[in-house]
Amino acid sequence: MTPETRLQDLFAAETPPPRDLGFEAEVARRVAARRAVVRVAALLPLAVAVAVLLWAVRPYIAGLTLPAAAIPATTAGLLAVIGALALVWMSGRFSAA
Amino acid sequence: MASLGEADWVRAARAGSDPAFARLVQTHQAAVRGFLRRTLGGGWAEADDVAQETFLVAWRSLRSLKSDEGFRSWLLGIAWRRAQDRIRSARRSAARDHRWLEEAPPPGGVSPVDRLAMQRAMSDLAPDVRACVALCLADGWSHGEAAVALGLPLGTVKSHVARGRARLLTALGGSDDA
Repeated sequence: MTPETRLQDLFAAETPPPRDLGFEAEVARRVAARRAVVRVAALLPLAVAVAVLLWAVRPYIAGLTLPAAAIPATTAGLLAVIGALALVWMSGRFSAA
Repeated sequence: MASLGEADWVRAARAGSDPAFARLVQTHQAAVRGFLRRTLGGGWAEADDVAQETFLVAWRSLRSLKSDEGFRSWLLGIAWRRAQDRIRSARRSAARDHRWLEEAPPPGGVSPVDRLAMQRAMSDLAPDVRACVALCLADGWSHGEAAVALGLPLGTVKSHVARGRARLLTALGGSDDA
């Protein structure tokens, strides 16, 4: 066996397999983790803006009163609207397909 | 989608397709990991860690890729820069190349004596010589492709490959001018 052949054999012995599901899964996990960080970072300005808005309108809201019977229905309605809006916004913004 | 070419996968990945990016990882993982194993030294786990970082950087930077056909060279360029960072930080420890000898797992089917001689010879090469050897001798890249990926002049790549090959062959019992 010539040194040239041995050199090629040694290089070949270090070559990873053409498929490695473990490695590919780890890359996918790191990409997903990175995407999650990006999502949170993207939502932060919105969360801050909403917090500031709520703080600004707090004095006006504090003066409003609802009849006790209307509170559960109003709360449920508000949550449903906010949830629907969030779903629509996030499905468009973060679609990975 | 089986008939899609690599440029199509790159475009789809840039548009946000996870399956397309997974396909690119599947296609290029062996080349990137092999290159880093030979260039970095150290344990294979370290090379794989840098390879994963490479793909993560590629995912974040796909928009900066100018030519969809040049994905492989671009990816290896990222891997090379990450490897250089890793080598620079590891040089703070003088024991690095000794660690290489201790940690590298023994590949099957080759003589342990040859393996040790090869690893010692590789650890003596400068990092950019190692990179040229890894791409051109081990993976069969042309000198021009390696020059683009590594950001080195073509003449430098040719001389690095020639010098590295001679050193490795000498270490394996050949002559300097082999």
